[in-house]
Amino acid sequence: MHRVHVIVSSLRSAGCALLLLVWAGAALALESGDRAPSFTAPVLNHPVLEDGTPISLESYRGKVIYLDFWASWCAPCATSLPILDALGDEFGPDQFQVVAVNVDRDPDRAVDFLSKRPVGYPSLTDPEGRLPIVFGVETMPTSFLIDRKGVIRHVHRGFRKGDEEALRHKILELMADGR
Amino acid sequence: MRRVLTTTLLLASAAALLSGCMTSVRPWERELLARRDMAWDSDPLEAQRRNHVYWSKEAALGGGGSTGGGCGCN
Repeated sequence: MHRVHVIVSSLRSAGCALLLLVWAGAALALESGDRAPSFTAPVLNHPVLEDGTPISLESYRGKVIYLDFWASWCAPCATSLPILDALGDEFGPDQFQVVAVNVDRDPDRAVDFLSKRPVGYPSLTDPEGRLPIVFGVETMPTSFLIDRKGVIRHVHRGFRKGDEEALRHKILELMADGR
Repeated sequence: MRRVLTTTLLLASAAALLSGCMTSVRPWERELLARRDMAWDSDPLEAQRRNHVYWSKEAALGGGGSTGGGCGCN
């Protein structure tokens, strides 16, 4: 009887330890209402700045930001890039900015991709995949719509053609907010 | 008490070691899985033809489907 008690107690403790480990290992995804963490990463494609120049998210504070995590191997990302570029052109650089973070392990693949399908917004590179952990990216692509004060107001997971209509509406709402 | 502690420690260590087996590929790490040659059927047309022949030979339809490897996007 005593032995059974020992085993049960031990299993309970081990179970708690395992749960703690699982909990500690799981990334916490940022949601609407959370503050967007500030970060700096080298840029891959800037019309003015030299490639590799570090750009911080903070430098776009005061504008509505669409932060997009993408990769060259991700098919829905390829769909989203020209659409995001068009949204960037539509709303202009004064109040709205698309900022992309590429997570290709080899940034050259992203450069190659962008040379074939260029976009007007900056794409930063994070080959080690540190930023997706910070933001808790759960699928590719994932995008965060951030208001002028740096608060995440919408998380867009995946991308399908037609999603831009809902996005346009949300961007306009945020642009009208806090003028 | 000592036995409880020892067993707990042993089980916790085993759990800690085995937790390495639970490491999953994160969404942004699926570059290799997204390659065409990692898909179950890298050539959909050829796969369809093979399935057609299989169904004809076996006189049965379906049951051979499964979701693709793919990048796990969306």
